[in-house]
Parts: sequence; C-alpha cells; structure tokens
Amino acid sequence: MLHKSFAKHSCRSFSVLKKLKNLEKSPSSKVSHTHDQFKPLSEAQVAYLDRAIRVDQAGELGANYIYAGQYFVLANKHPHLKPVLQHMWDQEIHHHNTFNDLQIKRRVRPSLLTPLWKLGAFVIGSGTAIISPEAAMACTEAVETVIGGHYNDQLRCLNNQYEMDKIDGTKGQSLEIQNLVSTIKQFRDEELEHLDTAVEYDSHKAVPYIVLTEAIKAICRSAVWTAERI
Amino acid sequence: MRFPIRVLNRRLYHPNALEYQGKLNLLPLTYGSDSLQYKVLDHSLKTHVPSYGFSERALVASINDLGLGSSVLSALGASNSPSLFNSSPAVLELVKFHLVTKRSALTSSLDPTRTPEVPQQLPTLETLFQQRLELNKPVAPHLSQLLSMLSIPGEFLVKTALPELHSLSDDMVYFSQAHDSHDFAWYSKRAAISCAFVSSELFMAQDKSHNFNDTFEFAAEKLHNVTKLGQYYTNTEEYMWYTLLMSINLAKSQLARG
Repeated sequence: MLHKSFAKHSCRSFSVLKKLKNLEKSPSSKVSHTHDQFKPLSEAQVAYLDRAIRVDQAGELGANYIYAGQYFVLANKHPHLKPVLQHMWDQEIHHHNTFNDLQIKRRVRPSLLTPLWKLGAFVIGSGTAIISPEAAMACTEAVETVIGGHYNDQLRCLNNQYEMDKIDGTKGQSLEIQNLVSTIKQFRDEELEHLDTAVEYDSHKAVPYIVLTEAIKAICRSAVWTAERI
Repeated sequence: MRFPIRVLNRRLYHPNALEYQGKLNLLPLTYGSDSLQYKVLDHSLKTHVPSYGFSERALVASINDLGLGSSVLSALGASNSPSLFNSSPAVLELVKFHLVTKRSALTSSLDPTRTPEVPQQLPTLETLFQQRLELNKPVAPHLSQLLSMLSIPGEFLVKTALPELHSLSDDMVYFSQAHDSHDFAWYSKRAAISCAFVSSELFMAQDKSHNFNDTFEFAAEKLHNVTKLGQYYTNTEEYMWYTLLMSINLAKSQLARG
C-alpha cells in the first residue's frame, strides 16, 4: 500500500518535468493524440481553400509586379514618391512571400497563367506610371479596392464555413484556419492603407479618372475570376 | 466541363496533419488496407503478378488461394467502367492498385500523417526516383504490358494513369530536397520529371542488364538533364530580364544627355 502511494507520488513529482519532455517532441505526441483532433475538411471546404490560396498568391504576385513597374518608372522622375512606393512595394513583397510559402506548404498548385500575370501587372504598373504619377495612384486605388473587397469576401467565407466538429463532440475553428484568417485580415488592412495613401497622393486628379479606375477594376475582377480557376 | 476539372482537382490543399483526422491514405483507392479488395489485390500483386503478369489469371489464382468465391472478380473492378479497347475492369483495378500502393510506399516513411518520426533530412530527388524504379523490379518482365494498358487512350488514361503519374512526380518533388517553385516552373518541373520517369520505365521494360544497372544509369542521366534544363531556363530568364532593364536604362541615360 505504502509502496503504491509512494510510486504514485514519485510519478506526480516528476510530472512537471514530463511536460517538458513532451514539448520537445510535440509533433509526434500529437499524432497519436487523436481525441482533440478535428474531423477532416469536406471536399468543398478543401476546394475553397485551394482556390483561395491560389488566387491570393496570384493577386499578390500581380501587386508586387505593379509596384515594381511603378517604381521603375517613377522612382527617379519623382523622388518625393520614392519612399512611399518603396514602403508599399516592400509590404507587397512580404505578402507575396507569405502566400508563396503557404502554397508550397499546403501543396496548392500555382496559377497556370503566372507568366501572363507577371507581364500584365508590370505593363499596367509601368503604363499608368508613364501617363502620370496621378494615374499610377489611380491604378493603385483601383487595384487595392478590388483586392480589399476580395479579401473581405474570403474572410466572410472562412468565418462562416469553417466551424469544424471535433472528434470529442465540441466545435471550433482550427489553428490553421485561424492563422489564415489573421493573415488575410492583416493583409487586407495593409491593402486598404495603400488605398488611402493613393488617395492622399492625388489619385482623384488623374486625368481620365473614371475610365482608368473602372477599366483597371474590370481587369482585376476578371483576373481574380480566372486565377481562381486556371 | 465537369470532367477535366475533377481530374485536375485530385490534388488539392493539404490541411495539416496535427489538427485534422487523417483521410484514407490510399486515395484514389476507395478502400483501406483491411478490406477484402486490398487483401486480394495485394496477394495477387505479390504472389502471382510476377509470374502471370497483369492479367485475370493472376487475380483468379489469388482468389483461389484465399478460398474466395469467383464473384469477387467482378466486385474488384466495380470502380472502373468497362472499356472496349482496354483490359477488364478487375485487371485495371489491379494496375491502379499497383500504381497507388507503390507511390504510397515510396513516401510512407516521410509523410508526417503516416509516421510519427519524420527524418530530419529529406532524401534527394534522385534517391526517390531510383527507389520508385526499384519497386518496379518484381514486375519488370511485365512492364511493357503494364505500360501499354496505361497508355491506351480512353477513360483509364485520363482518370487514373495520368493523374497517378502527376501525383507521383508531385510527391517526389514535395518529399525531396528539390527546390519547389511558385510560378510556371512548378508545372514544367513536374512534367519533366514525369517524362523522365515514363522513359525510364520504358527503358526498364527492355532492359536485360544485370540487376537493371543500365536502367538506373539511364534514369540518373535523364534526371540530370531535367535539372540542367531547368537551370538553363532560369539563367536565360535572369539574363533576359537583366538585359531588358540595362537597355532601358541605357536609353534613358542617352536621352538625358541629349
């Protein structure tokens, strides 16, 4: 009896250290640990995540190249815009890298039309910048409007459709989805910040303002539609 | 429109293995390793295919060995539609089983959803490629028969043979140290590896050398060419881009001088 309780006690006294031991190889211990896992995602949920990652990656690639085009034309002609463009461009590069990593990690195929997105984005960026700096800002405004709206649609879907059942009966959102949501939220806020910056730098004074913004919005929407599918 | 999209979507977003319960490991096979179909096909592939080839005789021999009724034969092929120009559905299921189980055996020790201990260092692409060819050794005398069944135009080619080939090259890139790309090179790399693999299999079908040494040499050479071509492409792209920017800048500076 005494021996038994002693054994129990000794076990307890070491339990503090045991946790540390588990932490060291947490991935393996979690694999065997199944009762707090989620049930598998449905086919439709997986398909949505797949196209969400693909379209976001393609979109950030486009944004990256648009800023590259603008920077290439404007940086030396209008030095006061240089730090502004550089700041926005750096953020887009960060977004692009994040989605690139997700694409590899989650084994999503990239959009088949990436060469076209690269070329098109660079042409749009440099083309509007050649017209005038205001036109470039109008381009930024149009692109960020579409991207911001699209991110909002995705957030709505991710928050509504990904309440998963766990095996033990409780419900919740997995960490993976939570991380994706917070990433998209942060990126959306930054994109909308770019929108404000563009308006601040006289995007409304671009000469064919309505034509430019509406045309670029239409191009972006059709690109989003295509990149989701192809 | 529905059909090709479903084929493309065979490989989709992979959720992490820690938070989600695993699905069937042997997709697109719809049965697990404890099912009757698995037992029959596995037995047949290991025992009778090396002598009889991919034929109904191998299946019937296994069904008799396991003491099952002959109706199992028609149940085996239930997921394949009968085709006029190809073998019977049960034999096609055997071929599919061969492709899927060999592919999954290749990565089972590297996949965190299937083993608790993943090795720190992933193998190289060459190693995986050679390992997959090694797995073909038992059925090597019947490879030309297998390849002809896989390449007959029809539903089986589009729905099973090509997606399996793509999944194999995708797995080989993902589970190796090979650098993966974010753009069009993602596709060209997989396509090139698939081509290299099919041509190595074709070579193996004719290979009479001891222990298939010639095949492995050929495969190494092919794969080396793939990586070399990839490097050529990247270097050319980089050089073109550099030249473009250089010439624009040159023109700009000349204009500025007046």
